[in-house]
Amino acid sequence: MGKAFEQAAALILSGDRELWSILAVTARMSLCSSLAALALGVPLGIWLGACSFPGRRALLVVNRTLMGTPPVVCGLLFYLLFSGVGPFRRLRLLFTVPVMILAQVTLITPLVVGNLESYVTAVAPPVRETARGLGLPPWKVFLLLVNECLYPIFSVYLLAFARAIAEVGAVSMVGGGIAWKTNVMTTAIMQYTNRGDFSKAIALGIILMALSLGVNLLVSLLQGGVRR
Amino acid sequence: MNFPAFQKSYGRRTVLAMPDFALEPGRVCAVLGANGAGKSTLAKVLAGAVPADGGQRVVPARVTVGYLPQRSFPFRMTVRQNLLVTGGGRQRAEELLSALGLSPLADRRAALLSGGELARMSLARALMRPCRLLILDEPTAAMDMESTVLAEGLLQRTCRETGRTLLLVTHSLQQARRTADDALFLHRGRLLEQGPAGRVLYQPDRPETKEFLDFYGS
Ligand SMILES: Nc1ncnc2c1ncn2[C@@H]1O[C@H](COP(=O)(O)OP(=O)(O)O)[C@@H](O)[C@H]1O
Ligand SMILES: [Mg+2]
Repeated sequence: MGKAFEQAAALILSGDRELWSILAVTARMSLCSSLAALALGVPLGIWLGACSFPGRRALLVVNRTLMGTPPVVCGLLFYLLFSGVGPFRRLRLLFTVPVMILAQVTLITPLVVGNLESYVTAVAPPVRETARGLGLPPWKVFLLLVNECLYPIFSVYLLAFARAIAEVGAVSMVGGGIAWKTNVMTTAIMQYTNRGDFSKAIALGIILMALSLGVNLLVSLLQGGVRR
Repeated sequence: MNFPAFQKSYGRRTVLAMPDFALEPGRVCAVLGANGAGKSTLAKVLAGAVPADGGQRVVPARVTVGYLPQRSFPFRMTVRQNLLVTGGGRQRAEELLSALGLSPLADRRAALLSGGELARMSLARALMRPCRLLILDEPTAAMDMESTVLAEGLLQRTCRETGRTLLLVTHSLQQARRTADDALFLHRGRLLEQGPAGRVLYQPDRPETKEFLDFYGS
């Protein structure tokens, strides 16, 4: 065990090329999927939180259900869609990074929507009442609402990113963990462990935990010193 | 300015039943009543913040309305920016900041203000843009006496100079006597009294109003 940790530290410090490939694929996938989830989820979350319309409650239930989707179910769905029998087989996207991103966006967007919606539901009525009382036009009311949500948006982004780098079920099913191509940290940890290559698995595990720690430190900083 | 009769219910409870009534242009009309009498509900319906039962318009579309809710929201920016965001202009903002003693606080973040400071900022912000009818819901309830006097003077000057009509919701009889030209008295969701302040606030017709005056006027 102790030896494995030593080797892990050496690997991280030596800049092992395969390790760097894994980190690069992980970064590319996680940044893309978390940013796309943010771009989709923020407007949806604000819309669901700020507007009342028939069917809103039903949409919230659907979103809450999607928030709990098991990653492997999401993986299965995208596998079927893009595999040799699926409707999108011509695109030849199975076992590529783009389809991993698609699957992750599907998993993470509901999270962004749900988090934002509950925040917006609380601030929207007073913001709207005050802003309308001042005679402000709807677009300005919307911008003021977004302005109130900047910190929640930032912290929900960090959570989305943390979820993206840590997710394994969907990514391994549609990505396949192909070395130098679709292998990300989580899938690589599984492979190395199966092969008995513990030092590499531990090295990746340490990096993952450090990233997660960093993200959560940021989130707690944000929540602690909520600068309003 | 004439307003049609309307009702406002929450669930099956009617919290306000107003007959048709009028406001004199360019004058200050106080809305008096105990807690829960329906004062804020009247303000909200007139401001269009909540619909009356049946959804009909109470204030004609041509009348521009400014409305300060009882709990006004400090936007996440500085005090000065809170005023400027209304689009009322820099000069007006500085005038109002100084009129309410807010100049030293102008660059503070609005969310960090004390209750009384927030009330002053909210009032200043509500006065930024011109409107025909200004509805203020207990604007001075959180202010100390000094700020209250500043605010009342500012409101009277503003109405006189701009000719706008002010509907001033208050639970303070003293405030109504100091500032109002006319008065409405609400009791349990009903309009019991309307007329010149000199009569309503000193020689009311109804026993409920007399009781209110005895209680608060001593
Ligand atoms: N959104 C609401 N839902 C249910 N009841 C309400 C609501 N808003 C106000 N009420 C009730 O209406 C009555 C009048 O309230 P309000 O107009 O705020 O009184 P006040 O004269 O103190 O401003 C109160 O009994 C209050 O509980
Ligand atoms: Mg009230």
